[in-house]
Amino acid sequence: MTNHEKRRKLLLACGNALRSDDGVGAEIAAEIAQDTACADMKIVVVQQFTPELAEMIANSDLVAFVDAAANIPAGEISMRSAHPETEEPGSFTHHLSPAALLALSETLYGKLPARAITLTVGALSFELGESLTKPVRAAVPVVVGKLRRFFSD
Amino acid sequence: MSQTIAIDPVTRLEGHGKITIHLDHQGEVEDARFHVTQVRGFERFAQGRPFYEMPSLMARVCGICPVSHLIASAKACEAVMSVRIPHTAAQLRRMLNLAQMVQSHALSFFYLASPDLLLGMESDPKTRHIFGVVAEKPELGRAGVALRRFGQHIIELLGNKRVHPGWVIPGGVTEPLTVAKRDEILKMIPAAHAGMKLALSAYKQIADQFAEEIEVFANFPSYYMSLVNEDESIEFTDGALRLIDAAGDTVDEGLTATHFTEKIGEAVEPYSFTKFTYYKPLGYPEGSYRVGSLARLNIAKTMGTPKADKELVEFKKLAKGPVQSSFHYHHARLVEMVYCIEKIEQILSDPLILDKHVRAAAGVNRFEGAGQAEAPRGTLMHHYKVDENGLITWANLVIATGQNNRAMNQGVLQVAKHYIKGGKFTEGILNRVEAVVRTFDPCLSCSTHALGQMPLSIELRSAENALLAEVHR
Repeated sequence: MTNHEKRRKLLLACGNALRSDDGVGAEIAAEIAQDTACADMKIVVVQQFTPELAEMIANSDLVAFVDAAANIPAGEISMRSAHPETEEPGSFTHHLSPAALLALSETLYGKLPARAITLTVGALSFELGESLTKPVRAAVPVVVGKLRRFFSD
Repeated sequence: MSQTIAIDPVTRLEGHGKITIHLDHQGEVEDARFHVTQVRGFERFAQGRPFYEMPSLMARVCGICPVSHLIASAKACEAVMSVRIPHTAAQLRRMLNLAQMVQSHALSFFYLASPDLLLGMESDPKTRHIFGVVAEKPELGRAGVALRRFGQHIIELLGNKRVHPGWVIPGGVTEPLTVAKRDEILKMIPAAHAGMKLALSAYKQIADQFAEEIEVFANFPSYYMSLVNEDESIEFTDGALRLIDAAGDTVDEGLTATHFTEKIGEAVEPYSFTKFTYYKPLGYPEGSYRVGSLARLNIAKTMGTPKADKELVEFKKLAKGPVQSSFHYHHARLVEMVYCIEKIEQILSDPLILDKHVRAAAGVNRFEGAGQAEAPRGTLMHHYKVDENGLITWANLVIATGQNNRAMNQGVLQVAKHYIKGGKFTEGILNRVEAVVRTFDPCLSCSTHALGQMPLSIELRSAENALLAEVHR
């Protein structure tokens, strides 16, 4: 087994599958889960990024945070490196941004993944519904491809 | 000129709320109120649904304590079905509820309350949050995160989902426990005990620094209600309800969900969407009572597990008779967490815990049913009426936060009167006004069956109702 294969890979998908495009993270996670090439990957689907994920992140080498975004055009994909950044959690302290989660992992466990990214897809609708809108649905295979490349690099 | 202080939104709670503090012409606190500002309406839209859908529908009331709603709802459905669930199913449900208690109490203590307790009520609000605690006390931060994960992971193992598991159904649970899952839970127990030892030790070291807060944080005589077993040990899932007075004497006992209509009333105040629950024979507001960890520990004579029993003895030394200050809710939660971990271990050693018979089946045998369970915040009651086809015609949910509503309002007033003098206040004082609400760990999403997160605000208003100051988090 090579070092490359030993890398601990974590896909964290966030969203509510009952809120139309907010479920895009869960949809992407489901696609990845069916991919035999990704069998060594840990896939976690959550409705919020919570502090309890910090230990799992600290114990991973490659981490991808996948979520829907309201601040970019529908179907547009944004892929960025994620870095630890302590933030003021504000009024509700049990959901955090990927940057804050990375900061928590570093503070609590003294470890960070070698690489972490955020992959977001611009959403068209967050209304009640269990299906994705057309532009968001079209973005799913593109994001899946990007994730495959990220985890195999 | 009289004034009003508004804290809007109140922070580090579950849901949306606001506090207003009214000053008189001398700048002294005249009145203070805790407002719950959202409404959702679960009781209404349940109408017309088949009764067997209710547990999974009602679990959606809350993302923090869905398990309590599942259990209370399933028990109400079982009253409609007139069935008694298999022993193993009852034990598995009990374990699920204990796991939820751990994760919810960990959230309350470590994430929401510990910034005040470990960093101080007057500490810089910019760092008075979970990150501040983690930076100051990383070992406690790790323990808190691990304990929440302990509870969540058990829920996930049993229910196959961390939030809103659909495993609890009318008649029992959908599938039995496997050996692998049992062993995985058992493996986590020692670390959970170690985390609790650390948390209790840290809390006991700092509790004395809060003598003034203990004195005025909703510290007054009241009634208390919780489930308790026949042997007077603490109970979260079965047992019967008992109401005690401020002296610790039993006022009523053996209360079950079937007594709701005659014994439990719900008053409405114009400033809040949360109802004010009271014990009907005493009337409103005299019959108002407190629920939750403080009530449970005041009522139980024993925890029934060795480590928790030692802690209960120490807890009861805080007062002669029932412990009255709501500040001690924090301590009570820690004692309950110790109990939950021990009890989970005990349940897993039950020789029938892997039994495959975990579900009883029946149709509609009664047109009305009610069920109760202890949620982390206190007693939760679900009460339904159905037609001959099993469709819900009426539903009522009596929620812990509603039962603590009067005490929370009294607590806010007590703290405001103590700290605000001559119309002068600091951020730290307003934080204390919020902190007294946090001791109850209210869940406003549950209490109004409301949607969303919970920022809370404080308003300071004059005698002429002019807004003098406002704090938004």
